[in-house]
Amino acid sequence: MNRTRGRLCLALSLLIVITGCWDSTEVNDLAIELAWGIDKAPNQKLMISTQAIIPAKISGGQGGGGTEEGGASAGKPYFVVASDGMNTLDAVQRIQSKLSRQVYRGHRRVIVIGEAMARQGIKDILDTYTRDPNLKLRTDIFVVKGNSAKNFLNVSYPLENIPALGVLGEYNQLGTLMELGLMSFLLAATSEGTSPTVPAVAIGMSPPSKKEDKGRSPADEEGFRIAGTALFNKDLKLVGFLNVEEGRAMRWVSGRLKKITVPAAVPQEKGNVSMDLYKIDRKIEPVVQGDNIKFLVTLTGGGAIRENNTRLDLTQTENIALLEDALNKQVEETVLRTITKVQKKYGTDVFGFGETIHRKDPPLWNSVKNNWESAFREAEISVTAKLKVRRIGVTGPSLQLKPNEIKK
Amino acid sequence: MRWFKHQKHSHPGYTANRMKSTELPLPEQQPIALSAELSMNESLLKETFQGCSDIVFRVIESSPKVLLVYADGLIDTKTLDRTVLTPILYYGKPDGLNEAPITGQIIQEQLVAAAQLQTVSTINDVIDGVLKANVSLLVDGENKSVIADLKGFERRSVEEPAAEVSVRGPRDGFTETLRINTSLIRRRIRTPKLKMESMTIGQVSRTDIVIVYIDGIVSNTILEEVRNRIGRIQMDGVLESGFIEEFIEDTTWSPFPQIQNTERPDIVCASLLEGKVTIIVDNTPFALIVPMTFWTGLQAVEDYYERSIYTTFVRFIRYSLFNIALLLPSLYVALSTFHQQLIPMNLLISIANSREGVPFPTFVETMLMEFMFEGLREAGIRLPKAVGSAVSIVGALVIGQAAVQAGIVSAPVVIIVATTGIASFAIPRYNFGTAYRLLRFPMLILSGLLGLYGIIGGIFVLIIHLVGLRSFGVPYMSPVVPQISQSLKDVFIRAPRWSMTDRPANFSGDNKKRILEGQQPNPTQGGAGK
Repeated sequence: MNRTRGRLCLALSLLIVITGCWDSTEVNDLAIELAWGIDKAPNQKLMISTQAIIPAKISGGQGGGGTEEGGASAGKPYFVVASDGMNTLDAVQRIQSKLSRQVYRGHRRVIVIGEAMARQGIKDILDTYTRDPNLKLRTDIFVVKGNSAKNFLNVSYPLENIPALGVLGEYNQLGTLMELGLMSFLLAATSEGTSPTVPAVAIGMSPPSKKEDKGRSPADEEGFRIAGTALFNKDLKLVGFLNVEEGRAMRWVSGRLKKITVPAAVPQEKGNVSMDLYKIDRKIEPVVQGDNIKFLVTLTGGGAIRENNTRLDLTQTENIALLEDALNKQVEETVLRTITKVQKKYGTDVFGFGETIHRKDPPLWNSVKNNWESAFREAEISVTAKLKVRRIGVTGPSLQLKPNEIKK
Repeated sequence: MRWFKHQKHSHPGYTANRMKSTELPLPEQQPIALSAELSMNESLLKETFQGCSDIVFRVIESSPKVLLVYADGLIDTKTLDRTVLTPILYYGKPDGLNEAPITGQIIQEQLVAAAQLQTVSTINDVIDGVLKANVSLLVDGENKSVIADLKGFERRSVEEPAAEVSVRGPRDGFTETLRINTSLIRRRIRTPKLKMESMTIGQVSRTDIVIVYIDGIVSNTILEEVRNRIGRIQMDGVLESGFIEEFIEDTTWSPFPQIQNTERPDIVCASLLEGKVTIIVDNTPFALIVPMTFWTGLQAVEDYYERSIYTTFVRFIRYSLFNIALLLPSLYVALSTFHQQLIPMNLLISIANSREGVPFPTFVETMLMEFMFEGLREAGIRLPKAVGSAVSIVGALVIGQAAVQAGIVSAPVVIIVATTGIASFAIPRYNFGTAYRLLRFPMLILSGLLGLYGIIGGIFVLIIHLVGLRSFGVPYMSPVVPQISQSLKDVFIRAPRWSMTDRPANFSGDNKKRILEGQQPNPTQGGAGK
């Protein structure tokens, strides 16, 4: 009796000991990759590039062996490996043959897509990013404007050790809502009434000017910038870009903006003001007039005046009303220009106008959804901004003005 | 325990066998009556105490002869001189009794000025009395002996307990002397309801133990169980309360102590007032308190002396730390070798950085450091004070600094092990903390083998074990499992004293109320607000 019991215990513990640890991996056997690039390669192939960190070269830790001073040795703390393949995992397998450590994708933060790849369409390559349980839907997606993802990953960024974190940081500073990058892309791609957008990045801190020599190769450039927003159509093909300002306007209309600074000229006063908006909302009202569909876009927001380059004394309510008028006008103009540009030039509904019809009037939506893109091109859109100045800062008029210059 | 059960089933004659096999080599002697002749008694005693050089036989050649028997060093010889020898030798019998012979009765009533006197009539009682630090007076022609209590052995004075220090609260601790210990309790609880039942355990050592309880508050079932379990003990010697603890605890196969020990009389008295039973053993300052629950292991004595808000905060910290003490190393191993995606990215990068060039797997590394830490702690306890500081310096330098610099272990592991060590010392009861230090290792192995699944599995097994555990019939996890909401006021929080009106319902007797309700401080009651 006892012997059986003992043997059973032994067998059970062997069961754990023998089978255990099969999937354990030490941290220093992993190539932790933070950014991932997808490019078009010849012969219908994909080019996958990955930006993996070199832990020993990241300052602050003890480093390998602790012999060097300060931990960080010379050189970049990351490196890029690329390979092409029939599909993503085929390429990954080829990448793995160049790496001494296992590629670890659980901490991927950024996926960048080369412009050429994006224009070709990414519908056929997205599956693996949602199938693997190790990957997170929070990964942010960017399109590299005018370059390939591999080149982008090779660019260093002065403020961050790891360039991938630089992209994220720049993007977060734009005042967008915390987005679940990949997830919102997939949501937009599958919903009927909207088209997905992703932020676009470009190599180089400043936009290229005509005067500068164009001989500089992208690898010499340092840093990168958010270059606006890339618009996709329903086939997940890149159709065009919006610049940063238009991108913000687009996000405002589609309800994904958290903060924005609106500068506006005040014609009556020959000056200008800037307002920080923080309570931002929008409302889209579809109106059907016969065959025409009309959208009334109402943008609301409250904020604080941060800059007042006029002679107005902001403690006076009529002056505030004056500023609000100027700001509203400015916002309406920008937003309407953006919408018109998207409508006429790209014809892809990235704002989610279709979605509002879908919610408000499902029968109508059923009749228009099949050729919604052309209906969207012809839709009439009017924009009304209702901004509210809630704070004016610590002073009414500018302090450098003499009392007789101030306009009450 | 299960093993015993099987044996019990397989041998029908188990009980009888057991009684026979456990008969100890010193059987109880048949009582021999004292003879009226002193010389016979003397030779009998001398035969018994043959080879005992510390037993003194002193014959006083008065008429009739008087024999004093005592153990040298156990009695106060000055008092013996003053109260026994001087009256007999110099002053003689009081007036009016000149003609009467010295008898036991006269000695007891007139001559010996000792507080405790007792007349016995068997040799065995005389031997007992002598061994228990009394003086035995035998008078020629008497078949009785007077036992005078003249204890005067060396005893440690009442000092602050070394193992249970508190910032606020009484500073006295138990000593090795049973009577001092009982007096410390009696001084705090002055009621005839405070009962102290005396017993002698150990056929050879014949150690006194006292079961202390408050009649009317204690639960009779628990008290009866304590009496039964102690009564069953058959052993040669009891040198420390731990000897008894292992006999009367509910199960040996648990890392968790089911009996609380303390050397603080205030803890004993607080437990008595809650309805617990205390067992005090002679020759040790550690008293046993039963029943013990899981939560008493996490309560410090100061919890009841400091204000309740602060205590609640401290308890929160303590509860967090004891989880850290149990789980931190295994969580580190599980996360860094199985579930890297759960570690925040920047932390993972810095862990990866510090692990560059470290020769061992994380599991081995952590195990090694935990082992070294336990070794350091064990070495530090035993060493003389002068060497102890040297060990801690070497330990801190070698393990902390040099090992990391040489790249043998990574810095995060040192941090983890140090944090765990500190956390494990935050558990107020030492023997309860050892359970956690012990369980850390199986948890570590489980996490090294199976990752988070192993940890979860380990926690499951631990909880199942704890919920099934009992201490003298009281569920170990009560009042949380099974839940008794009234008693929860003293588990995760410590409610103000005026609100803890009832004794802990999980183990106290029928008499539940301890504080009159409605005593919450209120400005309008005091008159100041009127």
